[in-house]
Amino acid sequence: MLFFSYFKELVGKEVTVELKNDIAIKGILHSVDQYLNIKLENSRVVDQDKYPHMLSVRNCFIRGSVVRYVLLPPDGVDTELLHDATRREARAG
Amino acid sequence: MGLGFVEVTERGEAGKPYFDHENGEELMHVEPEIALVFGTNPPESPGTLYISSKRVVWLSDLDRRKGYAVDFLSVSLHAISRDPEAYPSPCIYAQIETEAASGEEDDSDTSDTEPDRKFELSKVTEMRLVPSNPSHLDTLFNVFCQCAEMNPDQDEEDGEDAGWVFGDEEAGDDDAALDEDSGWCFSENFANPIGHSNGVKDNDLSRTILEFQIDDQRFDDAEEMENDTHADSRR
Repeated sequence: MLFFSYFKELVGKEVTVELKNDIAIKGILHSVDQYLNIKLENSRVVDQDKYPHMLSVRNCFIRGSVVRYVLLPPDGVDTELLHDATRREARAG
Repeated sequence: MGLGFVEVTERGEAGKPYFDHENGEELMHVEPEIALVFGTNPPESPGTLYISSKRVVWLSDLDRRKGYAVDFLSVSLHAISRDPEAYPSPCIYAQIETEAASGEEDDSDTSDTEPDRKFELSKVTEMRLVPSNPSHLDTLFNVFCQCAEMNPDQDEEDGEDAGWVFGDEEAGDDDAALDEDSGWCFSENFANPIGHSNGVKDNDLSRTILEFQIDDQRFDDAEEMENDTHADSRR
């Protein structure tokens, strides 16, 4: 659940979600749930030439299982903290 | 349970679709007067949408043998689209995961010889739902969200290589574990990982972004670490 908690702290920031079908969607992270389903606001497709029909969709719900990457804002990441937390969780398992 | 759309040709009482109550399927929302659009096809005649806790079912108002259903498990993304450039009418846009597809546009050399040839339902990867009353879009969107959350993926593929890989250990040579369906990984192979990127701000933004690989398996199977025996000897 570490990343669930982690992503929750990014709510309100701009992220880019890349899907397994190669579409990348940029938007403000509205919410995330335990399955890492992601809701974005003011979202838009990054590669608009390729996916013009998705030009801008207001609210967008992305199923956690189709997400490939989440690109985060640099200032939203405290690497050291995250490292510690992940190691701790891995050991606890 | 397959992915993608299926046809619904039978209806129960009051013209509603049959629901699988025994397996906990419940009707969540009914939206009359709503058009269904597959991909770039013209809209189907108006119909009624039944959203259950497991599926989205659309039934034609005119043709009682005509209807389509898709499981929430196949709905990989849904969104409210109000941009007239994207589609002339405000609608719910959704992407559908299909059995074969997964990315490849394999129909380039086949099937689209005639535009109005019967399309292959199981290959439909996009749908739009256009309600006659656009003010219902937010409600529809929220019902979709609610139902999507009720349908998390079951354990699909592998269990084995869903472990953890830390970039600073052996990710470099053991990248078999890094393929699409492996676990989370941190990569420290970036030239400038976060936290060490002094003074390269305008250089290459993407380098300063930490990437995560997200996995279908949640974090509930930490015991699989055992199988994984990566080089971390600290335990």
